[in-house]
Amino acid sequence: MQSSNAINYDYTVAKYFTISAIVLGIVGMSVGVLIAFQLAFPELNNLFGEYGTFGRLRPIHTDGVAFGFTVSGIFATWFYVGQRVLKVSMAESKFLMFIGKLQFWLYIIGVAVAVVSLALGYTTSKEYAEFEWPVDIAIVVVWVLWGVSIFGLIGIRREKVLYISVWYYIATFLGVAMLYVFNNMEVPTYFVSGMGNWFHSVSMYAGSNDAMVQWWYGHNAVAFVFTVPIIAMIYYFLPKESGQPVFSYKLSLLSFWGLMFVYLWAGGHHLLYSTVPDWVQTMASIFSIILILPSWGSAINMLLTMKGEWGQLKENPLVKFYVLASTFYMLSTLEGPIQAIKSVNALAHFTDWIPGHVHDGTLGWVGFMIIGAIFHMAPRMFKKEIYSKKLVEAQFWLQTTGIVMYFTSMWISGITQGMMWRATDQYGNLAYSFIDTVEVLHPYWTLRAVGGSFYLIGVFMWAYNIYKTATSSKAIEKEPQYATPMA
Amino acid sequence: MDMEFIRNIQGWGYVSMIFIITIGLYAYIYHLYKSQRDGVKDYEKYSNMALNDEIDDTLVEAKDPQNDAKDNKER
Amino acid sequence: MFHWLEKNPFFFAVGVFLVIAYAGIVTILPDFMESARPLKGTKPYTVLQIAGRQVYIQNGCNTCHSQLIRPFKSETDRYGKYSLSGEYAYDRPFLWGSRRIGPDLHRVGNYRTTDWHENHMLNPAAVVPGSVMPKYPFLFKKNIDLDTAYAEAETVKKVFDVPYDKPGMPKLGTFAQAKKAVFADAGKIVAGMKNQDVKDAYKNGNIKEIVALIAYMNGLK
Repeated sequence: MQSSNAINYDYTVAKYFTISAIVLGIVGMSVGVLIAFQLAFPELNNLFGEYGTFGRLRPIHTDGVAFGFTVSGIFATWFYVGQRVLKVSMAESKFLMFIGKLQFWLYIIGVAVAVVSLALGYTTSKEYAEFEWPVDIAIVVVWVLWGVSIFGLIGIRREKVLYISVWYYIATFLGVAMLYVFNNMEVPTYFVSGMGNWFHSVSMYAGSNDAMVQWWYGHNAVAFVFTVPIIAMIYYFLPKESGQPVFSYKLSLLSFWGLMFVYLWAGGHHLLYSTVPDWVQTMASIFSIILILPSWGSAINMLLTMKGEWGQLKENPLVKFYVLASTFYMLSTLEGPIQAIKSVNALAHFTDWIPGHVHDGTLGWVGFMIIGAIFHMAPRMFKKEIYSKKLVEAQFWLQTTGIVMYFTSMWISGITQGMMWRATDQYGNLAYSFIDTVEVLHPYWTLRAVGGSFYLIGVFMWAYNIYKTATSSKAIEKEPQYATPMA
Repeated sequence: MDMEFIRNIQGWGYVSMIFIITIGLYAYIYHLYKSQRDGVKDYEKYSNMALNDEIDDTLVEAKDPQNDAKDNKER
Repeated sequence: MFHWLEKNPFFFAVGVFLVIAYAGIVTILPDFMESARPLKGTKPYTVLQIAGRQVYIQNGCNTCHSQLIRPFKSETDRYGKYSLSGEYAYDRPFLWGSRRIGPDLHRVGNYRTTDWHENHMLNPAAVVPGSVMPKYPFLFKKNIDLDTAYAEAETVKKVFDVPYDKPGMPKLGTFAQAKKAVFADAGKIVAGMKNQDVKDAYKNGNIKEIVALIAYMNGLK
């Protein structure tokens, strides 16, 4: 075809967000490793005075990886995948180009303010929504700009039908927008009373209602930041990298609607045996189990896409990343519903099993997909080969070991502590004081911190590899259709 | 409105949702397979949107057949 | 119908939004009509307690300590009576937490004293050998932000009808009145403390964060 040779895909904004994903990944995960070591060795809390305690750093870790690393990854892949599956270039619209760049710079400013304000202790205390109202407003603006990019690009597309990944990106946009706005309804105290700190606000909701809104948000933020957009990525990157069409496109469409219908009903499983209405708890428990179906629908679809092509697993390390990611997705979407069964939750809630569950999802599924996606995108964005295939392989195995160490130690420590809390002696008295149940966790916490360090080292290897790819790798003349070229 | 009335509405909202999910999703499966069998539309072809995604690759379905006819081998 | 949705991005987006919003409309919105009713005897926080609660939030105490006692024997034996919804009616935000790296604090005021907290916050491992809690010496150095605490109380009073100044409820009054009450409350806590710097600061008209935090925790019953 000669007609449209003049136009090429423009990856400027995708490159920006790739850099921010790498940088914020390093920041967020380094803080994570530090606070993991703080639990095992409490003296580490005293490194930076009040700014270095576990309570101050933990939101920086969670928000750093969720809204820094992951959201950057989502944006980077959108500005890459979006153009390609709609077959339209950002270069065709000056307006969209401007919006994209504006979005990036506002995002960077927002992140900087967010990190500083959290370190200073400005927090609403609601998990994954700790930012105070000025940062919230910045986030909303960034999000709206992203919406303009999505629908703007869709508006000038050449393909009539939207590819399944675009469905998932749209759902991410809408879901996060709704959840974020409603959970962050707050009243700035300065504007009502005319005094005090202007950064401070109080929640619109009180007590049990606040808890219900928060976990409706908390659960579904996981849905629309850690699940939906990552599925968008795997539906593009696995078929593209392996050269195999999706096993069943019909199943992917069905899973999409299944996920959208079911996910939002399950948030109450964070509040089992609390003071929210009983029927909300039971319903959430049931829907959490049903949620296995659409989740596995996507995951199995991905594994079956590789049917007859498993040899690629040996030759192509990126396929390894994607296949392991969807395996971890299956694992954590089975584990989550199990934890949502009321009697299991009675044991698991408030223990390390919960962060263990979160991390086999985030490290294994989210992290591996974003890392793998950026490895796929880099040679095409920079027109260079991946600098070192050996390094990619080494990174894969190091990080996989890290994840396994992480979740096994957390499973054991969570169940141990849960059992010890409820253990009684022969007269029915509690068998252990609280501190007994903490001291016993020390070896597992150490192991977890080491596992996390392995993963972090892998992230540094990834960053180095991408940096060398962009700066000093061999140029490629023609973009490869499928497998990513590696030296 | 008293709380009991509200709980009733919630119950109905919940039950109707289950029906909508069940009927909707099964109807969707039926629709997907029927349109493939009747030759109206083969949904599987859309998976090529990820594989052939160069800007000058053949479109799976052009948004605007007239303008993009030159981009599309099939038309 | 299905195919029409697939090629109309706008209506597709509307459809997705309706599907995901529906759960919230059914499960969450209705409960706001019945706004959380306080139990008899549940009172809003005093201004000093609010200042303490802000210190609690600023330092992320809720990342390691829950404030929710579940209705199991093992929990009521350990922490006291299980939590009731009405007890949280004035909690903005709620502080239930999600992980017990440390013990639950919902009724900590029943079994810990000012003196205990003072020693514990300075060096937790000295009071509870094996503790992994950080030391909080800086709470003995920093002054409370009285203005913001008062601003919060006045905001919830004005916007959410929290019953300050009603019969049998805590007084709020003007800022000057509130300040007087805060110093009276703080005086009782300071009297039970040993730290000379905190006592001297109080004499010079400064209240340290530790005082407010202890006032808040003593009120958790």
